[in-house]
Amino acid sequence: MEAGDRDRSRDPSSTAGEGSDSEIERKRAQMIERLSNLHQARVQSSAREKSDSAPPSESTEAFLARFSDSKREIETRIADSKTVTDAESVKSRLEQIAKSIEEMEKLVAENSYFLPSYEVRSALRSVAELRQGLEVLNSELVPKKKFSFKSKSVKKGLSLSRPVAAEGTDSEPDTAEKGRFKARESPGFRSRTGEVLVKDFKGLEVGEFTISDLEECEVRLIGRVRAIYVHRLRNCKVYAGPVLGSILIEDVEDCVFVLASHQIRIHHAKKCDFYLRVRSRPIIEDCGGVRFGPYCLEYEGIDGDLKESRLDEETGNWGNVDDFKWLRAVQSPNWSVVPEKERVGTVIIDNKMSG
Amino acid sequence: MGLLSIIRKIKRKEKEMRILMVGLDNSGKTTIVLKINGEDTSVISPTLGFNIKTIVYDKYTLNIWDVGGQRTIRSYWRNYFEQTDGLIWVVDSSDLRRLDDCKMELDNLLKEERLSGASLLIFANKQDIQGALTPSEIEKVLNLDAMDKTRHWKIIGCSAYTGEGLLEGFDWLVQDIASRIYVLD
Ligand SMILES: Nc1nc2c(ncn2[C@@H]2O[C@H](COP(=O)(O)OP(=O)(O)OP(=O)(O)O)[C@@H](O)[C@H]2O)c(=O)[nH]1
Ligand SMILES: [Mg+2]
Repeated sequence: MEAGDRDRSRDPSSTAGEGSDSEIERKRAQMIERLSNLHQARVQSSAREKSDSAPPSESTEAFLARFSDSKREIETRIADSKTVTDAESVKSRLEQIAKSIEEMEKLVAENSYFLPSYEVRSALRSVAELRQGLEVLNSELVPKKKFSFKSKSVKKGLSLSRPVAAEGTDSEPDTAEKGRFKARESPGFRSRTGEVLVKDFKGLEVGEFTISDLEECEVRLIGRVRAIYVHRLRNCKVYAGPVLGSILIEDVEDCVFVLASHQIRIHHAKKCDFYLRVRSRPIIEDCGGVRFGPYCLEYEGIDGDLKESRLDEETGNWGNVDDFKWLRAVQSPNWSVVPEKERVGTVIIDNKMSG
Repeated sequence: MGLLSIIRKIKRKEKEMRILMVGLDNSGKTTIVLKINGEDTSVISPTLGFNIKTIVYDKYTLNIWDVGGQRTIRSYWRNYFEQTDGLIWVVDSSDLRRLDDCKMELDNLLKEERLSGASLLIFANKQDIQGALTPSEIEKVLNLDAMDKTRHWKIIGCSAYTGEGLLEGFDWLVQDIASRIYVLD
């Protein structure tokens, strides 16, 4: 790095010609003093703040030593696990390795403020590689297990009683939407029971669309929107054309969704089926008994809409679900794939209100 | 080691800024970082951990930490607080329902002592979406005027989708940090 330092102006040889009069000397002396004060202050304050946790080494060497130790150790564990056959110990091994990798990532984060950014990036790359190694190991060791798990959990009713979701976050105030912005509601369907709700976006400049507080409704959205927000549905069916941005779903139960979007985030869903086309990996958080299948919607002109939204290709991402409550290599118990014979088949909608 | 090499060492660090970017999930953090760096934004997954981006901006090197905002991983935000020069809080201005959540998380963050010296830029993102709240509406909802008077902060409307407002925001943040920290230049 020293060699790449182009800051010649601070090099004595280049400043000599500028007239090394006492004024410059004095300024430089002041600058040195202030800079070292500033540096001292930064070092001290970070030492003070850190004193209640792990002792700060603030040394790149020490970090690298620790980091490569645990890297080697994890690599060994991954290699050693390849020969393990007993299902239970496979599971616990995978979980422990995943946990160690997480700790490594945390180590990088905590030390990042003094590490050269090159080191941070290469450390992160190592972490990513370890994750990949773990994923490979996982697929080598448990492909059948994964499959049998899925087909087991899809039996209707089996997962119904599992108290997965809740965890207190439900106390979140419901007041936000009732409060300040009642006066300025965005387009959407709200507070209905037992209805068929149809919206055709063709030719409209619709930004976001909200679907909230519905019971036993069927929602059909034809055409393209930028974003969809879904909140509090019970026993509903939601069929929608492509979404250019993201869909955010919260607090839904016993519903079926057929959706296409660049991103999909699902929070607090119970016993729902999602038929998706997504460009990125769908994510779930605080969900239980949710199942996934491929997008299967038809309406007049949907092919063009999908194409324009760059959602015409099947990415296969509908099955690459990330569960934030289960950041481990083994399959999350909270979601599964809808078995082919249980899937809804192609859903055909139009914009007429025919039940 | 002579004084000049000390100065060189410190100076090089001086040109770096550490910027922490947080906000609720789905607010558009990753999209903003990629957009400002001129990268493809067409396939972005929700962030599972964090991303770091090093961007050269004017004469400064920004190390931008883009940390995932899903509820489960918000508790990890604190791992990234150390030595933060600038804080970017990103708001999805079209997500009216979660504004209370957004306010609560921001309030918590601002209580954090390790962030007390950081300049705060609030991006009221997704202004391209019809029905999005304006920056001044967001300012009211988040009650930004009640913030500690010593905090340097600014709210700017933007769209990671069109790019509007992003440079204005980063310009302000970088200038503000520079004027606070690098008084010597
Ligand atoms: N219309 C519109 N959509 C946007 C804008 N910015 C981001 N999005 C969309 O919003 C969704 C979320 O964007 P991300 O960048 O993944 O959000 P994030 O804040 O990084 O989310 P986490 O990683 O989960 O914390 C994506 O589908 C983006 O395409 C914007 O300015 N306008
Ligand atoms: Mg992100």
